[in-house]
Amino acid sequence: MSRATRTALVRDDRTAYEAAAGSAVGLSGIAFAVGLAALLGLVAIDAPVAGVGLSVALGAVLLALGAAVVGFGVASRTGYVDTGPQPSAGIVAAAAFTGIWVAVGAAASGAAGLGTGGRLGGGAVLGGVAFATTALPREDIGSTVPAGAVAGLCGLALISGVVGPGWEHALVGYNATLFGDTVVPVVVLFASLVTGWSAAKASGGFGARGRNVGAYVLIYLVVGSILAVLVGLVAFVAAKGLPGLLNGVSVGGAGLVSWPFLTNGAGLLADVAGVFPALVGTVWLVVGAVCFAVPTGVGAAVFLSEYAEQGRFTGAVEVATNGLWSTPSIVFGLFGAAFLIPRFGNQKSLIAGMLTLGFMLLPLVLITSREAILAVPDEYRDASAALGVSKWQTIRSVVLPAAIPGVTTGVILGVGRIAGETAPILLTMGGGVLPAKAAAPDVLGSFRLSASPPFVSNPALLEATSALPYQLYALITAGLSGNIRNPQEFAWGLALTLLLVVLAFYAVGIATRYYFRQKLHQ
Amino acid sequence: MSQTDTAETAETAETAETAATTVNRTDGQDVSTTAGETAEETRPEWTSYDAGGETKLAVDDLDVHYGDDHALKGVSMDIPEESVTALIGPSGCGKSTFLRCLNRMNDRIRAASVDGSVALDGEGIYQDGVDLVELRKRVGMVFQSPNPFPKSIRENVSYGPRKHGDIETGLLARLTGRAEPDREEALVERSLERAALWEEVSDRLDDNALGLSGGQQQRLCIARCLAVDPEVILMDEPASALDPIATSKIEDLIEDLARDYTVVVVTHSMQQAARVSDQTAVFLTGGELVEYDDTEKIFENPESQRVEDYVSGKFG
Amino acid sequence: MSLTTPRTDWRASIERRLTRTRAFVDDADPEALAVILASMGSLLVAFVGFLLASAWTAVPFGAFLIAAGYGWVRHQALVARAVAFAMTTVTLVTLGLVVAFIFAESIPAFRYETASVFGVSVPGLGMFAQARWDAVSEPVRYSLLPMIHGTVMVTTIATLVAAPLGVAAALFVAEIAPPRVRELVKPGIEVLAGIPSIVYGFIGFTVINPWASDAFALNGGSTYLFVGMVVGLMALPTVVSVAEDALTSVPDVMKDGSLALGATDWQSMTSITLPAAFSGVSAAVLLGVGRAIGETMAATVMLAGVPRISDPLVNVFYGYETLTSLIARGYGSANGVHESALFAAGVVLFVTVLCLSVGSQYIEARMRRRLGGAE
Ligand SMILES: Nc1ncnc2c1ncn2[C@@H]1O[C@H](COP(=O)(O)OP(=O)(O)OP(=O)(O)O)[C@@H](O)[C@H]1O
Ligand SMILES: [Mg+2]
Repeated sequence: MSRATRTALVRDDRTAYEAAAGSAVGLSGIAFAVGLAALLGLVAIDAPVAGVGLSVALGAVLLALGAAVVGFGVASRTGYVDTGPQPSAGIVAAAAFTGIWVAVGAAASGAAGLGTGGRLGGGAVLGGVAFATTALPREDIGSTVPAGAVAGLCGLALISGVVGPGWEHALVGYNATLFGDTVVPVVVLFASLVTGWSAAKASGGFGARGRNVGAYVLIYLVVGSILAVLVGLVAFVAAKGLPGLLNGVSVGGAGLVSWPFLTNGAGLLADVAGVFPALVGTVWLVVGAVCFAVPTGVGAAVFLSEYAEQGRFTGAVEVATNGLWSTPSIVFGLFGAAFLIPRFGNQKSLIAGMLTLGFMLLPLVLITSREAILAVPDEYRDASAALGVSKWQTIRSVVLPAAIPGVTTGVILGVGRIAGETAPILLTMGGGVLPAKAAAPDVLGSFRLSASPPFVSNPALLEATSALPYQLYALITAGLSGNIRNPQEFAWGLALTLLLVVLAFYAVGIATRYYFRQKLHQ
Repeated sequence: MSQTDTAETAETAETAETAATTVNRTDGQDVSTTAGETAEETRPEWTSYDAGGETKLAVDDLDVHYGDDHALKGVSMDIPEESVTALIGPSGCGKSTFLRCLNRMNDRIRAASVDGSVALDGEGIYQDGVDLVELRKRVGMVFQSPNPFPKSIRENVSYGPRKHGDIETGLLARLTGRAEPDREEALVERSLERAALWEEVSDRLDDNALGLSGGQQQRLCIARCLAVDPEVILMDEPASALDPIATSKIEDLIEDLARDYTVVVVTHSMQQAARVSDQTAVFLTGGELVEYDDTEKIFENPESQRVEDYVSGKFG
Repeated sequence: MSLTTPRTDWRASIERRLTRTRAFVDDADPEALAVILASMGSLLVAFVGFLLASAWTAVPFGAFLIAAGYGWVRHQALVARAVAFAMTTVTLVTLGLVVAFIFAESIPAFRYETASVFGVSVPGLGMFAQARWDAVSEPVRYSLLPMIHGTVMVTTIATLVAAPLGVAAALFVAEIAPPRVRELVKPGIEVLAGIPSIVYGFIGFTVINPWASDAFALNGGSTYLFVGMVVGLMALPTVVSVAEDALTSVPDVMKDGSLALGATDWQSMTSITLPAAFSGVSAAVLLGVGRAIGETMAATVMLAGVPRISDPLVNVFYGYETLTSLIARGYGSANGVHESALFAAGVVLFVTVLCLSVGSQYIEARMRRRLGGAE
């Protein structure tokens, strides 16, 4: 055989080392979680743990982690375990550690009372050392020693109480003060991230595999945090809002549910203040926007993908659509205020809000419908054309039905998006802070015919109307006070209602998509 | 690697294989014959071929399912070291699938599930804890359609060695004087030369590889694979996009490679299989390995009627 | 699009179109033509009437409905095509109207803030050449600099949050997650996009601001730091979904090629997938930046609402006003030049975000061409 060395496919001489490094990753994860809890105020940093304060205990953990990480590097470097490190930890790690140590150096020299020059000098010295330690030695040293040193330093600072409960540091000129209560958790979060990454690399045996493991640990952490934030947000709003939302709910006789928060207005007469007018306003708003945007958007999508030939016109429409899609909602609000309000009786009105949101919804509908129509396979069209069916017949009976799932999903998700929009209706639709039940728009019952132009009128459409997001904003600007019993609880209930309405649209949209996709795969 | 070791593994694999294929025959015989094949019972002894020499890859009772689709049925064969093994068979019979099992690229396909075992130098590649990176370093692959990276030609060739840390080119390496541009240059030249591409691209190594013609791209992919210096090279129709001249270059290359490497090559061209390979395996519709033997034997005097029909062009 | 001889190109295309129209007119049924002319004409008249704010707009609009309805029964194919065309122009018209109206309304403010450089007076320069915004007390000045500073602060922090997290999450969804997990994470991130900004703002106002005020001993709780983080969270889903699209559009065979050479997943991602999708990913970040710039309610509710530049410039512990919150807060109570100045803020916003959008589209188009192998 020509090759002198051949690496085995399965390595079993590293298991103890891997297990140790794996536990270090786990311990870093625990430290991270505790740090997060402390930051959120769930635990106090001076809470007693095993006879010492939490901050000291966390410092000890960080110190141990730092030592462990350095140990992994040394064990690998001295050949005690067989790993596959590369000659250097790489430019990214070098840059990161240089940055970290420059900051540490600057902070330390600042704390030692040095001026700006001293800070710069201290930062530069430590940064240079960190760069050399990371970049020059082999990867197993370069990616562990600087990391371990960071964690060790943080640990020592916490153990010795240099940073701890009661510590404070005024940021001169910033008019702000840093307290131990926030700095300790942040230090713990940061240091545990560093050790977690470094230990993960070690558990992968450094080299390409180690980097893979290190990166995956960080990415899983990121995704986990995003999902945690999502769940936390929804749960928080739900917990705060449920009392208000369920206030006075009773299942009356004959199985009828009475739900005053959703069916009452906020007048003095209502014993439980409710959001009925805003809810109705939101419903009409969505209906109006959909009536304008969906036919227009779908029609345009059909024209663009079936009739128009690719050229300047379609190019311009595409740019315009994407431009509209990314236009800030407040700009739509300004536009509605300048364009629509003067044309609908010179005051904020329901119809101005509807059309403004319709303009916002239009690009969303157009983009998703176009995608759905383009996704219909050309064979369908060819097959239909081969039977001698005219183009319009093909579109009507083949293309549109096949595109309906995509269009529906897009519309529902788009509606979810605009139903929660506040900025545009703030400028165009207005409405009261705490409207009474009678203020709910009665659109269907207000159509009037008249002998003078415009011959058809509907006062309900021309009046300022409240909607859920707007009412929440109005309550906030009114300082969460008002002529009702418990404005705080009311506002949280309102926020939850709004969240549920929007999430319901999303849930339905996502479920529709899932359903149609399942059907397609059968 | 000790010699006795391999021989033993090969032997055990063979006994197991005979048993397995026998079992398989009972349920696998009513294979559909829609493609013009005559109905026929396959016999285990048709595939229990021993090429002599050391076994590089021992495949034992390999089954592959794509969802409910049974793509490979109980395939067992021993691929000898430093030789060229050709896989032939009609389209859709599972040649690519088989090839992808040999370096576990099938792991990338979510629907695929693989049963059975494949051993590289006696070490099972489907056992727990196998380092896929290590495996794929040792078992390289050239795909059915060329897939160069959207990078320069030079970077395409040196990609593997760079990623394995064999060659350093980064900014840091240059700063610390560890970069070895000369070695990289030499490696790129050697690999491209072996893949019969050097003359055509030597003056534009920094151009984007996507700008090459299809045939050139395919040879670039071969060069890319050679640069890693694997032990086994799997080639899925390496010449399908090439003109006759380039094809013959590739064929020469394959024969040349067989001196140092174990080459497994899928081809649709009987002539090519006959020209370059030492032994040939014939897969037929339904994902069965029907016959595996010396290339000469397969093309001149196959045991199976279906194989005879296939190699003489009656169907396929 | 060819860059050579654009003039002949134009002429040829116009000629082609003319001949096609002529052929179309010759072929079509005269009655159908009349119906289409009538319906499209009345639609145009209705549009003009609406622009002029005429009460008579209803008449031509009714005529359009009648003509289109009649045509739908008699000549469905033609009418459908014509109506679809009219709907397509709505997008263009809308964009045109947005531009026209917010620009027109902002003119008085630009006039008011005229300043001269080298003897040339430039309208609007005063908005950027000094830093005083005061609509009430003399001297009344409308500088947008404080709000631009606020927007820059918020957007920078938001981008620092949204870009790395968003790209990491997109990598996860596109490359790393097993199918089951992906089915869970993807809708989860979509839902994150659905949480209304006012709800974020409400939480920020009632929870984060008081906490920040306490935790850093601030005067009041408005901080660019936390507004930026909240806005970053809101821009995150945009980054994730656009970047994920870009990553999944990299052909699988490229990644396979890398893996088959013995590269790790992470190496394949950083050396093949990310560079190949680089344009798409940067477009995603640009769009995220656009979202952050345009985000209104969270900023309005959480910020102090004082047009002032923080001191020192990078003081993230105090938050005053952004372009968006200025408009949301001030519109309604403002009039005259003040109102017009709000429109000027809108113009700045609109132009910035439109540039980002066009830029990201250009980058994406380039990426598609590159992956297609044309470059
Ligand atoms: N990714 C996949 N998912 C599902 N089924 C697949 C997949 N790849 C291959 N198959 C199925 O497995 C069977 C064997 O396919 P394979 O690609 O191995 O054939 P092949 O012999 O290489 O054909 P060809 O000569 O045309 O390349 C076919 O029936 C094919 O449909
Ligand atoms: Mg194949």
